Amino acid sequence: MEQNILIGGAAGQGINKASSIITDLFTEYGYYAFNYRDYQSLIRGGHNFNVISISDKPVNSSQKKYDFILALDKRTEKLHKGRLKKHGQIISFEKFKDERRNLNLFIAVEYLAKIGFPRKRVEKKLAKEFGEKIIVPVEGLYNKYHRKKELKSGGSKRKLLTGSKAIAIGAKMSGLQFYAGYPMTPSTGVLHELGGMQDDNLMVVQGESEIGCVSNVLGASFAGKISMTGTSGGGFDLMSESLSMQGQSGIPLCVYLASRPGPATGVPTYTAQADLDIALRAGHGEFPRFVVAPGDAQEAVKLANEALYLTYKHNTLGIILGDKHLAESGFSFNPEKIKFLKAKQNRDLPDKKIVKASSYEQNKFGNTTESARVVKKNFDARMKKYKILKKDIEKNFEGVKFYGRKESNNLVIGWGSTKGAIIDGMNGLDAKFMQVVYVKPLSRKIRKEMEKAKRIILIENNQTGQLGRLLREATGISIKDKNRILKYDGRPFCCDEVRGELKKGGVGEFTERMKRKGVKKVKRRSRR
Amino acid sequence: MKIKDKLSTREEVTWCPGCPNFMILESVKKAISEMSDKGGYSLKDFVMTTDIGCHAKMFDYLNLSGVYCLHGRALPTAEGVCIGNPKMHVLAFVGDGAIYAEGIGHLPHAFRNNMNMTLVVHDNQSYSLTTGQSTPTSQQGFKTKVKPQGEENKPLNPILFALASGATFIARCNAKNINHTADVLMKAIAHKGFSFVEIVQDCLIFNLEMNNKDSRMYEVVDNRNLDVAFTLAKEFDYNSKRGRIPLGVLYQNRNAKTFAQKWPQIGKVVGKGGFYKGQVKGRK
Repeated sequence: MEQNILIGGAAGQGINKASSIITDLFTEYGYYAFNYRDYQSLIRGGHNFNVISISDKPVNSSQKKYDFILALDKRTEKLHKGRLKKHGQIISFEKFKDERRNLNLFIAVEYLAKIGFPRKRVEKKLAKEFGEKIIVPVEGLYNKYHRKKELKSGGSKRKLLTGSKAIAIGAKMSGLQFYAGYPMTPSTGVLHELGGMQDDNLMVVQGESEIGCVSNVLGASFAGKISMTGTSGGGFDLMSESLSMQGQSGIPLCVYLASRPGPATGVPTYTAQADLDIALRAGHGEFPRFVVAPGDAQEAVKLANEALYLTYKHNTLGIILGDKHLAESGFSFNPEKIKFLKAKQNRDLPDKKIVKASSYEQNKFGNTTESARVVKKNFDARMKKYKILKKDIEKNFEGVKFYGRKESNNLVIGWGSTKGAIIDGMNGLDAKFMQVVYVKPLSRKIRKEMEKAKRIILIENNQTGQLGRLLREATGISIKDKNRILKYDGRPFCCDEVRGELKKGGVGEFTERMKRKGVKKVKRRSRR
Repeated sequence: MKIKDKLSTREEVTWCPGCPNFMILESVKKAISEMSDKGGYSLKDFVMTTDIGCHAKMFDYLNLSGVYCLHGRALPTAEGVCIGNPKMHVLAFVGDGAIYAEGIGHLPHAFRNNMNMTLVVHDNQSYSLTTGQSTPTSQQGFKTKVKPQGEENKPLNPILFALASGATFIARCNAKNINHTADVLMKAIAHKGFSFVEIVQDCLIFNLEMNNKDSRMYEVVDNRNLDVAFTLAKEFDYNSKRGRIPLGVLYQNRNAKTFAQKWPQIGKVVGKGGFYKGQVKGRK
């Protein structure tokens, strides 16, 4: 089974609740589900919608066309009708006109009844969510479709997580003790999730500004706590001075950067991958750092863990780079046991001996110096630190990941949240996807792969192809304009969109003939 | 070796000869060493954070753990240290430019948070390390290279600002009176909560007009009355050339809840004992 459904309505009508009930039910029943949220910067009214993709195979992106439209208002019907598939259906609010408050649930249950989702499970779920009081007559709604064959289970239970929750879990499991943040979409998710996870070993503070938050975190980190802060692009700009402070003082600092379309306030509740440049370069002066970019929730748990671990191991600046699409979309996966690395302080702490950290260059006593010799020595020490960090990452962590046909000559390159759409979109095509996980330091494998490939295609959610530029800087190989698939309207890629673009760019279907002959013999006209 | 000697470093002091910062440094050393002598405190119990400016050179001359912060960020960093290890007492040294201009966004929240730390403001009513521009506490008419026509605004009254923000300990000192300053600093450190100490200081190079106010200063008895505090705060507006300047503990509220009392985790994170012994109520 594979379905792509849209639930839309005005803000406040409970679209998120309805979609979370549907996705929860399906993932508990063994299906994979992906939930994309499209909402405006307002609290009541307007037009919001969620797109849910359900499949018995792993799915991490949504499609352009819908099998069902669950319309909670007229506007939803009008706006999205054109994207209905050939035999697609609309479940309209008009049928339940008298139901005002629970309209979302009525429509959700109607949908579930229509496709034959086991009734018992629906009843149980509603009882769990809203108590014993029956607010939706599930039986009544199901009766109309009682002849419908019941949907079979999709397999074992899957886990469903948003990127924000995943990062919060990853950080908590690494031993996070202190988190400070200032509300800013889409980084607020992590602030909320960690706020709810507070216990005797974790304290979460909402600071007076991003500058206050990052300074709090530097102070707490200096005093010995495993600390972290998170923000979005604008807040990250404010934090820049303190990133530089980290570089000079060596106090470990881990920052979660959830990007959204800029410049300035841009379209604040939508998505973009336009902050790679500032993640790599923000802060005056030259100092070491590393940047990780998780592509889905499962990866976000792991990478948040690795980021905190490495930050404290190497006393460096660690940046977890995500975006709205990662932070707020729901990802499903097979739960697996993760062995979490514990972040530990790897420096002298002020309660044991006199420790001085400074924004100035320091002499061996920790005091201010202006000596040319010492200044150069300190610079060299910082560079050496980066070399050690780089070696550690190259040796022990996965800098790049590969998907698709390993032998293919078509190399698709991307990073972060485009991962889902790329993997789903190139299914069955003659292509190999290289996901850059550690954007800094870059893996050595990248150059080899790029040199080997006959055609390189770049996919990014920004206007200028920031990763492409970085790769050109690092490898000297530039990706042709026509091979750069860039999207910058604030919306993430759909899988069919990626597929169409790849095909247009000359990536063919993977055929039986190719399997027999071997790809090497198939002639390609253009290089890269 | 005496504690006071242990507090010194071998760095060359680069303040101008005769700068009142020497006297403030002396008072800080005196306060810390006396508190250590009395018992209950040791050098490892203190952490300092300093801002950027002349005052901040304290960092190099005091043998204490600390962070030499960016301009305007000594206060939030100090708060971070408080959260990170509430067993330690944090002394944040800032200048008037740093805390009343660049870092003022942090100040009212620090008063509200009421963390157990001390903020020491070296207020010489001018930016001195950047060669004499006017700060928010400079007097009206102060002529600088930026404002040859003279500073157009009236100064901010930090004591009133602190009172309005809900500060729990407010004191003013004269940099030249080492014994009194040390005495007030000790009271500030002993205060459970956020203590704000404003040290009125001359600058021998810039803004000479506001120097030598000593004859107008008088010491008040420690005050715990809010109404009296407002009256005392209004006596000196940082602008006038006449009128008296009250020194000492201008206001203290000993009943306000500290940050640690409001956040049970903070005691648990660090473990029991230290300054917070018996103060932190755990959950359940």
